[in-house]
Amino acid sequence: MSWETVIGLEVHVQLRTRSKMFCACRTSFGDPPNTNVCPVCLGLPGALPVPNAEAIRLGARAAMALGCTVHETSVFARKNYFYPDLPKGYQISQFDRPLATGGRVAFESPDRGRIEIGITRLHLEEDAGKLLHDRFPGKTAVDLNRAGIPLAEIVGEPDLRSPAEARAYLTALRQILVYAGVSECSMEQGSLRVDANISIRRPGETRLGTKTEVKNMNSFANVERALEAERGRQAALLEAGQRVQQVTLLFNAGTGQVRPIRSKEESHDYRYFPDPDLPPLVLTSGWIAEQRAALPELPEARRVRLETSLGLPTYDARVITSEAPLAEYFEAVVVAGVEPKTAANWVMGDVMTTFNESGAFPVPPGRLASLIGLVREGVVSHQAAKRVYAELAQTRDGEPRAVAERLGLVQVSDQGALASWVEEVLSAHPAEVARFRGGETKLMGFFVGQVMKRSQGKADPKGVQPVLQEKLRTKVG
Amino acid sequence: MSGAAAARQVGERLRAAEPLNAVLHWSQALLDAEGGRVDDMAAPGPLAAMPIAVKDNIVTVEQPTTCASRILEGYVSPYTATAVTRLRAAGAMVAAKTNLDEFAMGSSTEHSAFGRVKHPLDPARVPGGSSGGSAALVAAGVVPAALGSETGGSVRQPASFCGVVGVKPSYGRVSRYGLVAFGSSLDCISVFGRTLDDAARVLSVMSGPDPLDATTVDRPPMRVPEPLPDLRGLTIGLPEEYYPPDLHPGVAAALARVRNLVRELGGELREVSLPHSAYAVPTYYIVAPAEAAANLARYDGVRYGPRKVGPDGDFRAVYQATRGQGFGPEVRRRILVGTYVLSAGYYDAYYRKAQQARALIADDFRRAFESGVDLLLTPTTPTPAFRAGEKTDDPVSMYLADIFVSAISLAGLPALNLPAGRSEGLPVGAQLIAPSFGEERLLAAAAALERVIAAEAEVR
Amino acid sequence: MGERVSIGRDEVRHAARLAELAVPEEELERLVSQLNRIVDYVAQLERLPTEQMAEPFLPGPTAAALREDLPGPVPLAYPPEALAPEFADGFFLVPRHGAMEDA
Repeated sequence: MSWETVIGLEVHVQLRTRSKMFCACRTSFGDPPNTNVCPVCLGLPGALPVPNAEAIRLGARAAMALGCTVHETSVFARKNYFYPDLPKGYQISQFDRPLATGGRVAFESPDRGRIEIGITRLHLEEDAGKLLHDRFPGKTAVDLNRAGIPLAEIVGEPDLRSPAEARAYLTALRQILVYAGVSECSMEQGSLRVDANISIRRPGETRLGTKTEVKNMNSFANVERALEAERGRQAALLEAGQRVQQVTLLFNAGTGQVRPIRSKEESHDYRYFPDPDLPPLVLTSGWIAEQRAALPELPEARRVRLETSLGLPTYDARVITSEAPLAEYFEAVVVAGVEPKTAANWVMGDVMTTFNESGAFPVPPGRLASLIGLVREGVVSHQAAKRVYAELAQTRDGEPRAVAERLGLVQVSDQGALASWVEEVLSAHPAEVARFRGGETKLMGFFVGQVMKRSQGKADPKGVQPVLQEKLRTKVG
Repeated sequence: MSGAAAARQVGERLRAAEPLNAVLHWSQALLDAEGGRVDDMAAPGPLAAMPIAVKDNIVTVEQPTTCASRILEGYVSPYTATAVTRLRAAGAMVAAKTNLDEFAMGSSTEHSAFGRVKHPLDPARVPGGSSGGSAALVAAGVVPAALGSETGGSVRQPASFCGVVGVKPSYGRVSRYGLVAFGSSLDCISVFGRTLDDAARVLSVMSGPDPLDATTVDRPPMRVPEPLPDLRGLTIGLPEEYYPPDLHPGVAAALARVRNLVRELGGELREVSLPHSAYAVPTYYIVAPAEAAANLARYDGVRYGPRKVGPDGDFRAVYQATRGQGFGPEVRRRILVGTYVLSAGYYDAYYRKAQQARALIADDFRRAFESGVDLLLTPTTPTPAFRAGEKTDDPVSMYLADIFVSAISLAGLPALNLPAGRSEGLPVGAQLIAPSFGEERLLAAAAALERVIAAEAEVR
Repeated sequence: MGERVSIGRDEVRHAARLAELAVPEEELERLVSQLNRIVDYVAQLERLPTEQMAEPFLPGPTAAALREDLPGPVPLAYPPEALAPEFADGFFLVPRHGAMEDA
């Protein structure tokens, strides 16, 4: 029996501000506990929230990047519940009048090809503090440095149909948000968090099954694993004739299992009402238009442009646009005069390797372009160029030509030198010479390779072959 | 008078006034320090050496701030309210922190965890509330002015009971930063004064936008107006709903006398109608408790304040015990009502309906003022001060003591109580109400009446 | 408010649980009657005709004034540990919940 899986994700991203959502405390990560706190984020009697303009700008930008409509009026509301990480006993969030609604994210699904997932809404809210349960025996420790950090909550439609698709959606979503410059989107540092709602039903069924909520996943891979586990758990229940209970589950990355946490019956009565400390958030249409104009090109648009105007294959365009700095670097190399596909090969190869290792581009695009120019002109071989690149990357200095010369990598096309390397190779491999002469002409490749090796890559491969052919023929006589 | 001399004089008066139980925290040492600070100021400002009492729900670093609640017993705020900072910068001295109904919830100052405040003229009676301590201190001549807070009349009503001036500014005129929140959309720091001039000077210094309070309105501070010589050219509206047939005869007589004075001063009287004011008290008792239930959620025994531990010993037990034992009965009632009206299934019937009623109430006032009325004149309270214990058994009868003041709070308007005579020895007050941000005209016109009114004379 | 029901012990217990207020059993009956009195009283709002209902009204500014993104909070005259009922190594401490999880 088969099941259809229905998944909707709620993603919280920390907006990249210097100060908190409603007070001027720093947002820095990793400071000593309870040092970035003030009357507002400690929830002291008499303290009042004042919204951070930059958080609102970044929230609006995120919403626009996701194709949402940003509303001219939105309202902050109090979400009431008690927990030790929530200083005021309510969280300031947005409820029936969110900042933005109605967007979408387009991406390649591993199962269904290109799809679009709807974004129900994006709203602004403040983060809670951090609890530590294992530091003091029998006690929970509360650190409020994180309390009040600005978050955008992005609620996706339940349009996802598999755990792998959910992961692909998250990858696309993160790409967009990082491109738009609104968030670091690091799951490790907690600046991106995912809660997943999942249910299963028979194919063709239009009603949704009872859903559960899965939390506590610390990587996209674990989101996929957790959803796989929960899908399996639900299917086993239904196949055994049991019901799925509406519960919240925690994922344990160690065991790969999900485990329900006890839920209190009233836990969802949040008694939302408009926060009387905060007048409505009013954005003018002019301001919204300005923000829209300032939005950078997003990964999807960039990918299409690289394909259509530069003629890159879809695969290359997707890899290169996966991160904005990579795409920018690529385009700079092209602007410096390199043929796009050649530039793409370099960027997806050595450049991406160093970028992934160091997060930087030690060889400026102009310098890479001149290195590629040396290859095109036959001054260095492709192999040699890779060594020059490595040297440039390591020393972070020097002109490609000078480096190639210093390393002795400039190609030799001098007939005398080539002839002597060829002679050495042929003398070293009499058996292969005999087989070649016996008609095994495909051994030509072998001889070229040996010459390149003997010359330490310096021999100009285009010049080697005629010399080889000449020598193999003359030896017959 | 020097700050040092003022400090000694106020200290003596505070000691003499101890039987009123109007004060929660004061010390001669702190007062002397305040006096010394003022004397050291190069330019002490418009309130030089003026001792001001501060309601104990306005935070100060030097004294505790308890809101007259066990849940904040011993709490000392690590920051000071904007209003107090501004007063001190203008040369004023914080004289004492005054007693109140717990978290400002009440109309008699009987709901204090630290004992009720006595009326200065009759200890068996209440001074009104919730700012009863501040009202009593001004009435007893201890300080020329005191800060109170209004959520639904908590300054005007006790001002009326005690026979002093009480001015509530427009919502958004004075920063709430450091005023312990009760009903955030209603709360206003407000002023008691021996005279309108004292109150106006204090209000002027405190007023103006504050970057720490997003609900302050971006307008320049209020100026202290020149008193009007008479009321010529002014139309004073008399809302019929505020003069019910069963109004206390002493109150009715006092208001009749004020109307005569208005005419004698050349003012015009006109009847108007504020039909939705009849819904003000029920609206108020939905909106204020709903906001209060959320505002008081922070008192959980985690970050500050005394903690009580329950039998289970887990953190939920800490909440339940700390809050269950820390809050008094009236606060508990309002938290429960506020929680109930916001809870699933009841929101539309209560909270949403109250929000709409509030809009209708505010609209009545807007229409009255647009029809050419400059100010409105009403009684401040339906009766003079009542006896202690008279209304503590029935919460609703207590709520009705605010029947003439709560609509103004819901509409966010400025209003004041002007002492208007005595009935059987007890003060009676007249209320003047102005359009939003019309404080200067309100105070200037009231000053014309203040000059001719015999505030301490018996009326009949 | 046609569906309004009078408040019973269960409603009071439910609200008390939401508000994290311990209500002793012996006080429950009295609270039930007081809350009924209050809720009956405020229920007179149901007489207001709904069709003329305006937008909700809030006094004060019509739009929130925003703050620039500059760190510089109001300083604390006393540190958190001076305020806290229980504090160690920079943390506020609370008794641990039996089933509490780091979610």
